[in-house]
Amino acid sequence: MQSPAIEYDYTVAKWFSYLAILFGILGMGVGVLIAFQLAFPDLNYIFGQYSLFSRLRPIHTNTVAFGFTLSGIFATWYYVGQRVLKVSMKESKFLMTVGKLHFWLYFIGALLAVASLLVRYTTSKEYAQFEWPFDIVVVIVWVLWGISIFGLIGIRREKSLYISLWYYIATFLGVAMLYLFNNMEVPTYLITGMGDPLHSVSMYSGSNDALVQWWYGHNAVAFVFTVPIIAMIYYYLPKESGQPVYSYKLSLLSFWGLMFVYLWAGGHHLIYSTVPDWMQTMGSIFSIILILPSWGSALNMLLTMKGEWGQLKENPLIKFMVLASTFYMLSTLEGPIQSIKSVNALAHFTDWIPGHVHDGTLGWVGFMIIAALMHMAPRFYKREIYSKKLLEAQFWLQTTGIVLYFSSMWIAGITQGMMWRAVDQYGNLAYSFIDTVTVLHPYYTLRAIGGLFYLVGLFMWAYNFFKTMTASRAIEREPQFASPMAA
Amino acid sequence: MFGWLERNPFFFAVGVFIVIAFAGLIEIVPDFAQASRPVAGTKPYSLLRLAGRQVYIKDSCNACHSQLIRPFKSETDRYGNYSLSGEYAYDRPFLWGSKRTGPDLHRVGNYRTSDWHANHMWDPTSVVPGSIMPAYKHMFTNVADLETAYAEALTVKKVFNVPYDKDIDGDGKVDVPLGSFEQAKKQALAEALKIAKETKREDLVKMVESGKIPEIVALIAYLNGLK
Amino acid sequence: MEDIRFIQGVAYIIFTIFLTLILYGYIIHLYRSEKKGERDYEKYAKMALDDELDSPPVDKRDEKEREKKLKRSSE
Ligand code: HEC
Ligand code: HEM
Repeated sequence: MQSPAIEYDYTVAKWFSYLAILFGILGMGVGVLIAFQLAFPDLNYIFGQYSLFSRLRPIHTNTVAFGFTLSGIFATWYYVGQRVLKVSMKESKFLMTVGKLHFWLYFIGALLAVASLLVRYTTSKEYAQFEWPFDIVVVIVWVLWGISIFGLIGIRREKSLYISLWYYIATFLGVAMLYLFNNMEVPTYLITGMGDPLHSVSMYSGSNDALVQWWYGHNAVAFVFTVPIIAMIYYYLPKESGQPVYSYKLSLLSFWGLMFVYLWAGGHHLIYSTVPDWMQTMGSIFSIILILPSWGSALNMLLTMKGEWGQLKENPLIKFMVLASTFYMLSTLEGPIQSIKSVNALAHFTDWIPGHVHDGTLGWVGFMIIAALMHMAPRFYKREIYSKKLLEAQFWLQTTGIVLYFSSMWIAGITQGMMWRAVDQYGNLAYSFIDTVTVLHPYYTLRAIGGLFYLVGLFMWAYNFFKTMTASRAIEREPQFASPMAA
Repeated sequence: MFGWLERNPFFFAVGVFIVIAFAGLIEIVPDFAQASRPVAGTKPYSLLRLAGRQVYIKDSCNACHSQLIRPFKSETDRYGNYSLSGEYAYDRPFLWGSKRTGPDLHRVGNYRTSDWHANHMWDPTSVVPGSIMPAYKHMFTNVADLETAYAEALTVKKVFNVPYDKDIDGDGKVDVPLGSFEQAKKQALAEALKIAKETKREDLVKMVESGKIPEIVALIAYLNGLK
Repeated sequence: MEDIRFIQGVAYIIFTIFLTLILYGYIIHLYRSEKKGERDYEKYAKMALDDELDSPPVDKRDEKEREKKLKRSSE
């Protein structure tokens, strides 16, 4: 094998890592603020109309989903992609340029889009609030990423694609399809020549719009918060622990299991349809059989650590990743429970839903991105991680934060749901709406404190990363497995 | 076949795409045909109400309010008749919301009045002690953007055949007139003046009389129409 | 309208069953091809562990094909 004198090129991966930290702090800073606003409404006015809850909530969701999470996905792609394909971006000027262009367009587009939300430009559709010009920027950014993926695959040395790449490819395709269909809109200025040039109107109306939106909403969660994060864990956990994936076959199966299940086995459409009962039953049985392989992923990750649980004590990065897969299992269990008809009747519209969302995002998405970046830092800068103690402290602080968050929201959600439907002895509603609001105050406060813990943890992370970059002890060569850390 | 797919990234991608796209196709398309018909009595939004709807969207009221009453007794007791798919036929985008930090608003026009809304939007806690809804004072000075609302109305009329300037219920009269921008604006001002007077706020009445409609007036027109 | 619903239901069921069969067919394929010694799937796990630029690929790609693509993309 001719050994190339060149090395992997981490430029773009580094840039996206900085962005992930930046957007993480921004987005979750806003998250903490809006969490406190629900407990203490006076906080709505600290920046006049620009800090009203309703203005900031979409900024929170978009910044964490499309700022923090996507940056994390891109950062890890530009790192993992090269390594498992065994090809350096240095080998192709073209791909290097595409990568840098991808970064800058994404960064500038993201800033402008957030600014547009702040001055009230929004389509109001959740996770698709950006007005049409920004949608076009999003599409271009996505195409650039696609060129980067398939370009790098084109010049690979390794013939077979590692399982992580399957997931990155699926992310690329899934989001592309969903985003395009959900954001079909007609710019009103182009049709009439008057009014605000940024304004547009949805191509779909009423129930149809809702149908497309939730098809998008549900699956956007799959393709932004699940699929690419699995891509990460399939690389970083084995690499950090030095253990091969427990069963590679199971990982392949789980991939198709997930693809089939997530978009397909919703099943709820069948309940209302006119097909015979026995067919409906068949449908349900087979959907359950489909689910089994999709749970393989999480188990596969945990089993990868089989016989190596000692590392869990030694290495905080392993802690982050093992807890991440545990939260993944928790939220994939909670999701189906919430979609049972009678449970959904209670849980829908309540705080239980944000509770569920944040198990997944804080525990699974957040922890995985944190661990991935800290794993890459020593490789980026050829220095050891600045402080293991700080990383440990961060882990415990953030875990406490998550527990506070979801436990308070469970109670809040169920309380709220029960109070909305409670009746007195004559069958009249027992509570006025405002009763069901004021009762939540303690839970909203607890949630906000949990969020604050998590945010403080992010600052510790940023500090640790920055110190690793600038002030930590240098190492001679890239570590093969466990990341070196100073005490 | 499987081994081959794994080594051919292009066909692999095509396979993944077919699986995810096909699911959407079967899940969504059949419902599309079913849901798009308006129920009797549903009419397009007048210019003023459309402008109010845009204010509702711009300030993301849907972050805390749903507009979807589910067919449970506890909900119909609290909010009124449950929502029908056809009632949303002219909603672009839909505003069902996903979180009820505040109550459902789909029929709020049945039980709240213009002056109640004005006081409530100015300072919610003064009307409902303990409320955690923010005050929206900027709406009392911002001027509603009628031009953009008109552009939207004209767009949906042209592109999606929304029945403006048409006799919908067959009583021989035009139900929701739109006309030219000048005509539409004149009518919106007349509607706005009535609402401004109902709010009993001098400043709002003065603004409307000077030819400018404050956002709050448009918003109230929209909320009053939610029935 | 009911017709569309019926077709939807039937299409849904047929497709679910079809996907399940494919998936389980895939399981059989994975284990059988390994048993027959055609492929060793587990070796792919090494792609993550041994991923230096100069470590030998698990499944080497034809170098000529690679050069061709590389040339095109570096112009
Ligand atoms: C932080 C969440 C929040 C936001 C954002 C919000 N509201 Fe509210 N809203 C509430 C709560 C809580 C109540 C119940 C207490 C009250 O009446 O003030 C409420 C009540 C209402 C009511 C009274 C409904 C009834 O049945 O009594 C109306 C009308 C209303 N809101 C309109 C709006 C409009 C219009 C906006 C957007 C400009 C908005 N709200 C934004 C939380 C919110
Ligand atoms: C410090 C950590 C965080 C805090 C304090 C926080 C707080 C909040 C709050 C208060 C809401 C509004 C809930 C409501 O309307 O009642 C919210 C919504 C949301 N957040 Fe966060 N958040 C945090 C981190 C994150 C992260 C990391 C993600 C994703 C990566 C995320 C994704 C979301 C989403 C998708 C919603 C909308 C939920 C829904 O519509 O049901 N959040 N968050």
